[in-house]
Amino acid sequence: MNKNIDLNNLQNEGVENVPMQERRDFLKMGLAITGIFAGGSLFSAVSTFNSAHASDFAKKYPYKPHYSMVMQQHRCIDCERCMDACVATNHVPKVHGAYRTTILEKETPDAVGGKREFIPILCNQCNLPQCTRVCPTKATYKDKTTGIVLMDIKKCIGCLTCQEGCPYNARYFNEEKKAVDKCNFCWDTRLSKGEKDTACAHACPADVRIFGDLSNQEDRVFKIVHQIEKAVWVLRPEAGTRPNVFYTKG
Amino acid sequence: MTIRSLCITAVAALSLAAGVAVAASYPEAPIVYDKPVKGVVFSHKTHVEKGLACDMCHNRLFEQQAKKAQENKDFVMESLYQGKYCGACHNGSLAFASNTRCATCHIGVKGEERSKTGGKTEKKGH
Repeated sequence: MNKNIDLNNLQNEGVENVPMQERRDFLKMGLAITGIFAGGSLFSAVSTFNSAHASDFAKKYPYKPHYSMVMQQHRCIDCERCMDACVATNHVPKVHGAYRTTILEKETPDAVGGKREFIPILCNQCNLPQCTRVCPTKATYKDKTTGIVLMDIKKCIGCLTCQEGCPYNARYFNEEKKAVDKCNFCWDTRLSKGEKDTACAHACPADVRIFGDLSNQEDRVFKIVHQIEKAVWVLRPEAGTRPNVFYTKG
Repeated sequence: MTIRSLCITAVAALSLAAGVAVAASYPEAPIVYDKPVKGVVFSHKTHVEKGLACDMCHNRLFEQQAKKAQENKDFVMESLYQGKYCGACHNGSLAFASNTRCATCHIGVKGEERSKTGGKTEKKGH
């Protein structure tokens, strides 16, 4: 072996044959391998910081703060304190089918251990919302400063096209308002009044719902979405709406 | 020490002998706690069928009156982690640890409604 490596004339031997474990070890350090040299004794790498995990959905954070929620799904116990808090805070009528947030139940009878899991859902405040695109009167819109999908109930004609367009079943017709109603991350009831979280996140006793700012690297939401130890996903990614509600487990 | 272990053996033997009688007299319907959070199930059947005797929980960990424990302020998960209530067994060695498999006991509001009606809950929002 030639021990005097000519550093100026090294050839990249290609990353195709780098073992998966090696790649993962580097990724955990926040680095992606870009080349190997000198028969595998040297690596070149770049920071993965900007191409963060779940990057298809979280690539850009155009709002400041960029409101987001992470659900630690495995911790949900369906105590429904979140739903009660939402109803009380946002005056959601107690009638069948009316909710701004709810909890789905998935039974897993064949699983080892737990036999069910609960999945909290709410409006995903998508970056590319379908509901606002299909609304004929622009009664629902993506707010330019907060990024929250809001309702202007005066403009709503109750055609329910937004309900059809929403991949998350996050809208209902409010008989009292005579308009469609939906989660707005408690914008009018809490955030605009200086509160730092939503009523549901505030009420959760199990630390399932974590509300925060996805554009702030110090924020818990940012840290969970960008780590690579645990999987992070969104619901119905195929809808292509780039949702701002993320899920994780374990 | 010897006397104590003898006593324990005697108690265990008695419990086993009384097993059949005990099994016939436990409440059949699951108990569903609603405080401090709604929808937490305890099934006598599940536990008796695993061979547990009454005196393993009564009245040291739980009084016989159903849901009496939830009147206590310390009837919270933190107490379980310290070995109180369900945590006496659900500690990861005797039975699965209290800080795992949350939804096994936490059947939720939906589970609570199901246990009342004996069937499926009406699905909300669909």
